Amino acid sequence: MRAILLFLLATVTAWSEVPSGMAIRNARVVTVSGAVLPKATVLIRDGLIENVGPDLPVPADAWLIEGEGLTVYPGLVDALSTLGQDARPSGPPAAAAAPAAPARGPEDRPRTFSWERIADKVRAADPRVETARGLGFTSTMTFPVSGIFAGQGAVMNLGDARPSRLIVQSPAGQYLSFALGGGGGGGRGFPSSLMGVIAYVRQCYLDLDYYKQAKAAYDRDPKGRTRPEYDRALEGLAESPRLLFPAVGLSEIDRILRFAKELKQPAVLYGLHEGFRAADLLKTAGYPVIVSTKWPTRQADADPDLVETTRALETRAKAPSTPGVLAAQGIKFAFSSDGQSAADMLRGVRKAMQMGLSEADALRALTLSPAEIFGVADRMGSIEKGKIANLVVTRGDLLSERPRIEYIIVDGVKYLPPVPPATPAAKEMTR
Amino acid sequence: MKYSLLLIAALASAQDSYLIRNATIHPVTGPEIANGSLLIENGKITGIGAKLVAPKGVKIVEAKGMHAWPGMINCATQIGISEVSSVRETNDTNEIGEFIPQVRAVVAVNPETEHIPVARANGLTAVLTLPAAIATGGGPGASTAGQSIVRGQAAMLRLDGWTWEDLALSQSAGMLVRFPAIQTVTFAFPAGRTEVPYAEAKRRYDGEMRKIDEFFEKCRRYQQAKKAATPNFQADVQLEAMLPVLEGRTPLLIAAQRERGIREAIDFCEKHKVKLVLMDVRKPGAQLARLAEKKIPVIVGQPTDLPMDEDDDYDAAYALPAVLHKAGVKFAFATYDNQFARNLPFEAGYAVAYGLPMDAAWKALTIDAAEIFGVGEMTGSLEKGKSADLLLSDGDPLEVRTQIKMLFIRGKNVSLENRQTRLYQKYLARP
Amino acid sequence: MKWIIIGLMAAVLSAQETTVIQNATVYTATKPAFVGSVAFSGGKITAVGDKLIVPPGAKVVDGTGLHVSPGIIDSHSHIAVQGFGVNEGSVSVSSMVQIRDVLDSEDIAIYRALAGGVTTANILHGSANAIGGNNQLIKMRWGKTVGELIMEGGTSSIKFALGENPKRAGNPTPQSGGVARYPATRMGVEDIYRQAFTEARAYQKSLADFKAGKLMMAPRRDLKLEALVEVLEGKRLVHCHAYRSDEMLMMMRVAEEFGFRLATFQHVQEGYKIAKEMALHGVAGAGFSDWWSYKMEVVDGIPFNMAVMTKKGVLAGINSDDAGLMRRLNTEAAKAMRYGGLTEEQALALVTINPAKQMKVDHLIGSIEPGKSADLVVWNKPPLSSYAVPQKVYIDGNLYFERDRDMSDRARRAAAKKALEDQLKQEAPAEQKKGGPPGRRGPANEESGQ
Repeated sequence: MRAILLFLLATVTAWSEVPSGMAIRNARVVTVSGAVLPKATVLIRDGLIENVGPDLPVPADAWLIEGEGLTVYPGLVDALSTLGQDARPSGPPAAAAAPAAPARGPEDRPRTFSWERIADKVRAADPRVETARGLGFTSTMTFPVSGIFAGQGAVMNLGDARPSRLIVQSPAGQYLSFALGGGGGGGRGFPSSLMGVIAYVRQCYLDLDYYKQAKAAYDRDPKGRTRPEYDRALEGLAESPRLLFPAVGLSEIDRILRFAKELKQPAVLYGLHEGFRAADLLKTAGYPVIVSTKWPTRQADADPDLVETTRALETRAKAPSTPGVLAAQGIKFAFSSDGQSAADMLRGVRKAMQMGLSEADALRALTLSPAEIFGVADRMGSIEKGKIANLVVTRGDLLSERPRIEYIIVDGVKYLPPVPPATPAAKEMTR
Repeated sequence: MKYSLLLIAALASAQDSYLIRNATIHPVTGPEIANGSLLIENGKITGIGAKLVAPKGVKIVEAKGMHAWPGMINCATQIGISEVSSVRETNDTNEIGEFIPQVRAVVAVNPETEHIPVARANGLTAVLTLPAAIATGGGPGASTAGQSIVRGQAAMLRLDGWTWEDLALSQSAGMLVRFPAIQTVTFAFPAGRTEVPYAEAKRRYDGEMRKIDEFFEKCRRYQQAKKAATPNFQADVQLEAMLPVLEGRTPLLIAAQRERGIREAIDFCEKHKVKLVLMDVRKPGAQLARLAEKKIPVIVGQPTDLPMDEDDDYDAAYALPAVLHKAGVKFAFATYDNQFARNLPFEAGYAVAYGLPMDAAWKALTIDAAEIFGVGEMTGSLEKGKSADLLLSDGDPLEVRTQIKMLFIRGKNVSLENRQTRLYQKYLARP
Repeated sequence: MKWIIIGLMAAVLSAQETTVIQNATVYTATKPAFVGSVAFSGGKITAVGDKLIVPPGAKVVDGTGLHVSPGIIDSHSHIAVQGFGVNEGSVSVSSMVQIRDVLDSEDIAIYRALAGGVTTANILHGSANAIGGNNQLIKMRWGKTVGELIMEGGTSSIKFALGENPKRAGNPTPQSGGVARYPATRMGVEDIYRQAFTEARAYQKSLADFKAGKLMMAPRRDLKLEALVEVLEGKRLVHCHAYRSDEMLMMMRVAEEFGFRLATFQHVQEGYKIAKEMALHGVAGAGFSDWWSYKMEVVDGIPFNMAVMTKKGVLAGINSDDAGLMRRLNTEAAKAMRYGGLTEEQALALVTINPAKQMKVDHLIGSIEPGKSADLVVWNKPPLSSYAVPQKVYIDGNLYFERDRDMSDRARRAAAKKALEDQLKQEAPAEQKKGGPPGRRGPANEESGQ
């Protein structure tokens, strides 16, 4: 009951804040796609950026924000998250829970949910959405994460409208995970090893080629032919615009780059904590990457006498330098929260900035780059005429330690940041 | 008692006597004798020197070009109580119970075990048989959960005899103890890797430490009660078995691979005023000097095992015996299993290849091993009055290609044949 | 004389730098040892002989008092694989999987093996199932990426397994929690092969039918059956894990029934019992020297195995199956001199030219002969001595290991580690304030594999 009430209130509030237009006048505008405009006006209408530039006339009906002393940024993007999904620990979709009989080969399509679309399941009531928005995030690429083929992700705006209004693009890609079934024994079915998982993925793409051919042949001349069996797993793959592969360490990165090339599918790598060591490989391969901002840390409850390897120490010390290295090499990258809060994600980004990533490159990786990686840069990711009005308005730098956010605009709807319950420092103490 | 002594004497006197002549004799406790002779009578060495006169009736062994060495001693095996290690029914290792000092390996030794002739063929004349396995090579992964703490008595066996009584050089050469350790990560088959937080592992460790401390206190009280002959003193099989330990006659055998374990084992033995032999030592670290200073003998981890940690020098295990020797620590070698017990000389060979002086290697293989387990008066070197436990080889026995030509145990010229040599002959002759 | 000419020609023809190891005892693995020189250039051996003229500009390595052998070849290893995943044991036929897909170039075992003189290894699938996965030949190019480990021109091969391991999943224990997976006996293991190759033959026929125009569409590509068709056609070698003579005999007969030849029996503990049958089939034997007594099927393992097989015409080789033993295959080979009296050349061949022949790469590696890869080990003592310590190890003429360099670098490595630890310690207080335990499980860490 209370939820419904809140939902209604939210809806009413949102609507009440949409006059026919909005204008932010004479603000500093960081367009990301072009030069910083020191003094410009951003016009917003019908959820879109109507225009941006110096000395634009403000329409009479527009809600006017005096931008003196303010900076307008494109809204931030978390390039890989589970935002908008049920907060319960993600497992396979109930309908597709683990089969009773263990899989005996690729033909049984083990741990595959490639046809599932997260766009059909998202809900704005996820409390993490509001938290992220309050810190300047206006979009995310939200993905199902369980299964070898976990399903189709979506680009989603972090507003509070009906879920169907939040989806910017679906499907946005197929999420792959290489979780192991465990053990060399027979009990839990195929595949039980990393090489089994990889072989399975490879076989699926061979099957997809065959499936397409067989269907086409049948459709041309169905009479006298046995119809090909419908395969929802392959249908799911056929409509995946890109594949998201896990790759954290150097050997994994190397392996996935070669595998993606072999599959001839558009690919995006996620994780990349040892990206600082793989710059040459990544540059040569040319695939974009999503860097997890959850930098490795020493295990909190480790044995004090634990012997750590130089390699682990180096990765811990240097992982946050990865974004800077990627930027220097001209490798396209974005950031992901990787299960952390939005605040922790931004801390992670600032850590990368302390280790060599420029503010401009950081900002791009949080806005336009993720839009480009997911093929939606024509509609979002920067402040350009005609793009979706996803904006953050701040007093001072957005990526500073304590940004002062004035407004967040999602799909042209203006939100105020939540009132902090106490000073940020005090809040941290209580965590 | 007297009767059995007489019987043994009678058996021994029935033996042949030998004069080995023109051999290069390596007494180990004294300088090498070129073209020397060894006289063996009644199972003992009765003469050693450059020129010995052959008494009437002795068999002459012409050993020109051959080398005589004391037989080698392997300081950790389960020979006699484990035949095929993966077949439970052939194993009498690892008795149930937390504190079982009364359990004795010697009584379960099968004199007909095939492991005895196989070990003999490579020049071994004695082995220490442990009542339970020492987890080797595991580092943090070696799981000891659920194993007993005081695990029973080890026996030093000579590798020739009709019964276990006959085989025993020492029926109780050490008390095997699984010393508590903080284990955050354990491996077990088939469960795989399990990890507990440090705090939990420490809590378990503290619990076990309290138990073992209490047990030793209880043993002390029992010792005092017995001494005082209090009227209501009750004999106790379990506690009685600990008296030789408390009296400093039998050492505790504690496996401790790393610095922390070594430190704690030494502290414990100092606190309870008992003797200690450290087993499977691999990374003594800063405890090295203390081992030398306190004259704590060490059975070194296998030189041919892999180094424990990724960052260790690649030759760390090969070179450890040289490190111990340089620091003045008394040590001996072991294989910790049956399968490769015969490879003992090659373990020492690797230690020599990586810096251990040859004479130190031979001491470790013979007299030091004997002394550590309290049988140094009887065996372990070529000296007048000692048991004639020795080998004749056509070269340096640490060289793999060298052949062992003859082996004497208690003066008996024992066969170098075994099931393997018989299978070899049989199938070599197969048409 | 011939060598000298070849050496001069190479020096003239090749723009690349020539290296000559001079005045060392050379063990070519095909001829008796002699004191002389080995020259290499462009990754290949260019000349070997007792009197070699050093081409002008060549780099000379003084080998006085040292010993040079071919790089050691380990035909059975499981190192350099990510995690512990060498088995796809969920099914009895896993010929669709590839070790190549899970190589890890940062496994320290690579460096340790290199320091033991190993230059090439066949990384095998495990032995959990009758038909395992596809193996990968790698070179110990420490410091290079996964792709660069892979040996150029290496043969394709697949792992089979007989005996206790493949039937284990058919006898699940309550602890293993599993459903029984066929087979549970050696009888069932044979059945698996006959079923699988019957299926593969049918697949092979459909491929042929398509090629002959009898089918409208190419058959569905099946990775599992493709590998087996390659076996039938002799394009993929079979390395078969086996211990007992009965199971090896069975395997040879099944192979003969389906018209292919096995490349090796791995472990081959009872090879000495059926050396005659093995020689007749043409299968090689590759195993340990003296593993025995740890399970029932190795009870008849004898250290004389290699010698008997060699004397009875079986191509024998020694390998490790173990990251520890891998580092000392030279002394493992020497055991064939101790047990059964092979000559020094015969023994050295067990870990060099013989495994190269077993894996059909003896035209590339395995001996010191002009034209072969310059995979060389420089030892301080004769290579089969207990006291032999590799001083330098070359792969393709590149120096990948040098004992002096390793030792002189130790202080620097320790200092670098200390510096990292200190740096992280300084950052730690800030991190603690920030984080507590890392956030909830989320996308990228959820199932990102290892």
